[in-house]
Amino acid sequence: MSERLWSKAIFVGYEWDLWSQREHMALLKIEGVFAPDGTEFCLGKRCAYVYKVKDNKVTPGGKPNKTRVIWGKITCAHGTIVMVHVKFQRNLPAKVIGLRIRVMMYPSGI
Amino acid sequence: MAGEKAEKPDTKEKKPEAKKVNAGGKAKKGNLKDKTPKKGKPHCSRNPVPLNPGLKRKKMEKVLATVTKPVGGDKNGGTRVVKFHKMPRYYPTEDVPRKLLSHDKKPFSQHVKKLRATITPGTILIILTGRHRGKRVVLLKQLSSGLLLKFVIATSTKIDISSVKIPKHLTDAYFKKKKLHKPRHEEGEIFDTEKEKYEITEQRKVDQKAVDSQILPKIRVVPQLQGYLHSVFSHKWSLPSQIGVLNFLQRS
Repeated sequence: MSERLWSKAIFVGYEWDLWSQREHMALLKIEGVFAPDGTEFCLGKRCAYVYKVKDNKVTPGGKPNKTRVIWGKITCAHGTIVMVHVKFQRNLPAKVIGLRIRVMMYPSGI
Repeated sequence: MAGEKAEKPDTKEKKPEAKKVNAGGKAKKGNLKDKTPKKGKPHCSRNPVPLNPGLKRKKMEKVLATVTKPVGGDKNGGTRVVKFHKMPRYYPTEDVPRKLLSHDKKPFSQHVKKLRATITPGTILIILTGRHRGKRVVLLKQLSSGLLLKFVIATSTKIDISSVKIPKHLTDAYFKKKKLHKPRHEEGEIFDTEKEKYEITEQRKVDQKAVDSQILPKIRVVPQLQGYLHSVFSHKWSLPSQIGVLNFLQRS
């Protein structure tokens, strides 16, 4: 299972209105997406911010380990810059800006 | 209780109409035939309209037939006229208005599950999540629950499995996970109990063999297909934009 089944993405920042940021939505830049076609493919896909922590926690389908996830979903495209809006179940922490987020290939439509 | 009574007249109405010659019968049947509900009266209140507007009120008075039963004891008159159906011990203080018929609202088990056009029996799929992620798999059939459809990519490669017979007992219930129970506490063994381990049942092995024996020859016929199925899918070799273009082309 060493093969990667998710796209690489970077958490660029939060959604902004004119003067302030709204942390409930995140902006993602997905590697390999250069055109609106790519963004359209990604809509609705699940995203995950995966991180490790000192304590063990229960993992569904495996032994308790130190990995934790915040799940999210790509909601819509962001402007014309081919970035993407993502709504996470819990807001992402600000120190993750610039770090890796995984964009899964499911729910799949092909 | 109300529901039961309401349905009886409906079903019995049809019978008397069909058998008009045999109209003689139980007194109850005759009564029901006469008391078909009138639907002409306009509904003035703001309460929701029940299915059969006139039916409920008439139910209590006319439908109950009486029976004469012998009674013991001296000077009691010997018989009593008793209701055929006893009144219920409890009925609600207010008449509960009947629920309106809802249109096309079905529970999940009755939903029609549509498969996308790219997925047909015999297609090679890539499983995206779960224990077997990345593996390439041949689709045999769609189960009634429609499980797994969203967690799979359909490739354009297909095998012809029209002649493959899949055992009929392979349904959702067959594949459902069994809860592994800890064995019950016995005396002296309270701290020694282990959880039941998952064991592959004999039935599974038999079914697996039955299906494999039919499909493997088909796979071997196609050159390089066996190796292809062995290989694991990886995202390194494709970019979302490429898949996006493919998706677009497939749909158009």
